[in-house]
Amino acid sequence: MERTPRMVARWAVADLLVVLYALVPVLWIASLSFKDPATFTDGSFVPRRWTLENYSGIFDNPAFVRGLVNSVGIGLISTFIAIVFGTMAAYAVARLDFPGKNVLVGASLLVAMFPQISLVSPLFQIERALGLFDTWPGLILPYITFALPLTIFTLSSFLREIPWELEQAAQLDGATPFQAFRQVIVPLAMPGMVTTAILTFIFCWNDFLFAISLTSSDRARTAPATISFFTGSSQFEDPAGSICAAAVVVTIPIVIFVLFFQRRIVSGLTSGAVKG
Amino acid sequence: MRGTFGRSRPCAAGAAGLVLLAGVAAGCGGGTSGPPTINLYNAPQENIGRIVARCNRLAGGRYRIALNTLPRDADGQREQIVRRLAAEDSGLDVLGLDVTWTAELAEAEWILPWTGSYERRARQGTLPRTLETATWNGRLYGAPYNSNVQLLWYRSDLVPEPPATWDGLVRAAERLAAQRRPHLAEVTGAPYEGIVVWFNSLVASAGGSILNPRGDAVALGAPALRALGVMRAFARSRAADPSLSSMREDDARLAMESGRAAFEVNWPYVYASMAAKRPKLLPHFRWAPYPGVTGPGRAPLGGANFGISRYTEHPGEAFEAALCLRDPQSQLVAAVNDGLPPTIRSVYDHPSMAKAYPMRQAILDALETAALRPKTPTYQNVSTVASNVLSPPAAIDPPRTEERLRELISDALQSRGVLP
Amino acid sequence: MTGRWLGRAATDEKAAERRLGLWLCAPAALIMLLVTGWPILYSLLLSLQRYDLRFPRDREWIGLANYGAVLTDGFWWNAFWVTVLVTVVSVAIELVLGMLLALAMYRTLVWRGAMRTLVLIPYGIVTVVAAYGWRYAWTPETGWLAGMLPEGSAPLTERAPALAIIILAEVWKTTPFMALLLMAGLAVVPGDLLQAASMDGATAWQRFFLVTLPLMRPAILVALLFRTLDAFRIFDDIYVLTNGAADTSSVSLIAYHNLIGGLNLGIGSTMSVLVFLTVAAVAFAFIRGFGISTPGTQGGRG
Repeated sequence: MERTPRMVARWAVADLLVVLYALVPVLWIASLSFKDPATFTDGSFVPRRWTLENYSGIFDNPAFVRGLVNSVGIGLISTFIAIVFGTMAAYAVARLDFPGKNVLVGASLLVAMFPQISLVSPLFQIERALGLFDTWPGLILPYITFALPLTIFTLSSFLREIPWELEQAAQLDGATPFQAFRQVIVPLAMPGMVTTAILTFIFCWNDFLFAISLTSSDRARTAPATISFFTGSSQFEDPAGSICAAAVVVTIPIVIFVLFFQRRIVSGLTSGAVKG
Repeated sequence: MRGTFGRSRPCAAGAAGLVLLAGVAAGCGGGTSGPPTINLYNAPQENIGRIVARCNRLAGGRYRIALNTLPRDADGQREQIVRRLAAEDSGLDVLGLDVTWTAELAEAEWILPWTGSYERRARQGTLPRTLETATWNGRLYGAPYNSNVQLLWYRSDLVPEPPATWDGLVRAAERLAAQRRPHLAEVTGAPYEGIVVWFNSLVASAGGSILNPRGDAVALGAPALRALGVMRAFARSRAADPSLSSMREDDARLAMESGRAAFEVNWPYVYASMAAKRPKLLPHFRWAPYPGVTGPGRAPLGGANFGISRYTEHPGEAFEAALCLRDPQSQLVAAVNDGLPPTIRSVYDHPSMAKAYPMRQAILDALETAALRPKTPTYQNVSTVASNVLSPPAAIDPPRTEERLRELISDALQSRGVLP
Repeated sequence: MTGRWLGRAATDEKAAERRLGLWLCAPAALIMLLVTGWPILYSLLLSLQRYDLRFPRDREWIGLANYGAVLTDGFWWNAFWVTVLVTVVSVAIELVLGMLLALAMYRTLVWRGAMRTLVLIPYGIVTVVAAYGWRYAWTPETGWLAGMLPEGSAPLTERAPALAIIILAEVWKTTPFMALLLMAGLAVVPGDLLQAASMDGATAWQRFFLVTLPLMRPAILVALLFRTLDAFRIFDDIYVLTNGAADTSSVSLIAYHNLIGGLNLGIGSTMSVLVFLTVAAVAFAFIRGFGISTPGTQGGRG
């Protein structure tokens, strides 16, 4: 497609609209985080009086900082393991024939569909019995579990679109099945893998229900959960400024994670294996 | 993303296994020798760390209190506490409990009754009304830690003489509205505990109650009809904020601080907040007793008590720790720094209370006649259905609403039926 | 002779394939089973009992009586239809909006990396905080959006406006999810097919509807399926914005009130099972009706 100045301008306008859609409510939250508490209710979008005390306050809070660390660690580990296990299962489901295939697909849908609030209490009891309560694995295991269905579905639908002949051709060229997988399939499945990695990480990062119920101290409590433990200056006051500041801070790693990975979503195409 | 085929599989499984082991190892860190650890679970409170540190010093090595925080909202606290008590979790010792949870937790036998010298020491010098909130079936189940009553707050530059009844409040607001001055009266009308609190106090102020004294059947009746009439009239008058049916305590506070309200009915924490956020308005920010219906008003009563979990492994130390955490010195810190009014009479006379609580006499007076919320193990159910029926207050039709309340609350008392 | 030898080799191959398939699925299957197996079963069993956590002595088996109680209750059906409405409307909007966003993210000539990242931010924000942001925005006096409405209106206190705001909050938050899945689907549409079509004289619209969309069908259906399943279980937005006031409860919210608030494990579990059955019916309809083939029903060795 030619890059005429008119096309560039058109796309720039379209992009601006998209950015406005995505960012205006976020800017509102950011604005609340910068507002001096006395002007909180003045109803203006831009703060009339700016203050950084909300931000300094949350970083002075060791529980919040520790929560960020927990979130990063638990999120990355859960995402990694979910993608690994999910890709394995998706490959099997898409390519191979084995007994119980439909059961697995049905079961993973079951896991994705059952309301999570009912699962929290029994899960809590199991984890207490196993000593996993308030630990990293105590959150990692449920996160992997709830990330697997989407991973399996998305990746298997991607893998199914890739012709089997490609792998066969690579194997005929002397590659082992694993090499064939790595060099031929993975680049083509990359859009799906990266997409699910991003969605899984966001799910783990933002989960609230399990983080609140399966932890009791900042040993394993993740950042969104610590937000609900912020103190206002009294029992009824919502520390809204701190909450908004924490929300802004908690969003930044997501932005970094996505920025890092979004390039890979379309990189698979440039390898050229699909042609012919 | 690396391929996950063949030889990577054991690696992935191994990595997962290591993570699990590490986690379990981290989890099983216990088994240390030394003084028993008493786990305190309390709502977030800025200065509770100081109180805990002092009590640890005074414990002199007999026990060590570890502070664990619960979520900020009362429902979230209850959720966490109940989940763990139902699972017979031995990791809970001292619990900071809202006053409305006593009957529920006591009936389910999840908290221990206070007896003997512990009971004597808990009762000593404590305001009688607050002890009532910790009592169920004649036994004491908690040591009152802090208390709270609602007062009528008003702008003395707009209203020279505060109204004594709800009708008077509405009339004063209408007058101000006619003069085009700030005229709103902020009340918690959102469908949550706040509106039930309002209704309960209105019924009590009209001389009745929601449940019978034993707490097993609905009372309501004529006083309830009166109360519903007051709510309806208020909601349809100029006094009501347009957002009345989504107002909670904090929304009311914010509205008052922004200057568009002339009255609010709220807990005393608003005074400290006004002093900090709008010092210029503070001189005109005055208080008065809760408005009445037929006579003097009966203010809503809130607060928290310390209860001891039935599954604690160190009951003796837990009782001692709780008693220290709510002794006069601890309550003074909580009162002056965190806005939590004390439950021990002598603390009110302490000099440092004067600056933070210029309204302390009003609080003490209100505590004499404050209206307790209905005592029943199924209070949460009662509150949920009541708040659903009562909201929005402008849609109340007293006879029909009273009947619907009667029907739903009766079911709720038996824990029958579906909650909205 | 050769035939038998070939036959045995084929059987060995099949057996190897089966073994490989089972091994590859084992970790995922094991984790899902261990974490959710007992809890789901426990929920099912609880739904057949009368069990209030506070009165453990009154616990007893009552068969399907809970289901009868829930399915004849006005509160439940209210919540059910509200949930259906919110789901249908929000998913429909998200599909269209998501497709537009996906096209923008994928095809934009300028600021590509920034666009793709920025669009995901709504999905990346903690849901509860985003909901608070909307709540403050629509609260009269405090919020900038409320200021645009006529004086004296409080949209969150009335049913229709509140539902509209809930749908708005939900759509804003989760459209990026759709957009991302759709964009990944766009990424596998071969560029040369589109080139060929345009050389054949197809307009941009025709290229989109006749070439791109059909090739994107699997991605669209996966996105729709998962989004609908999630939308039906909407909770956080309603909890923060109205907590079910003015009859805006969703099925998840009412299940939460009964299970966690009312400690009625019997009724609460029954509601969970009913939500699950509804969602399963939706998934089934997708799979059968729209012809989304379950992963594994085709493909393989050609």
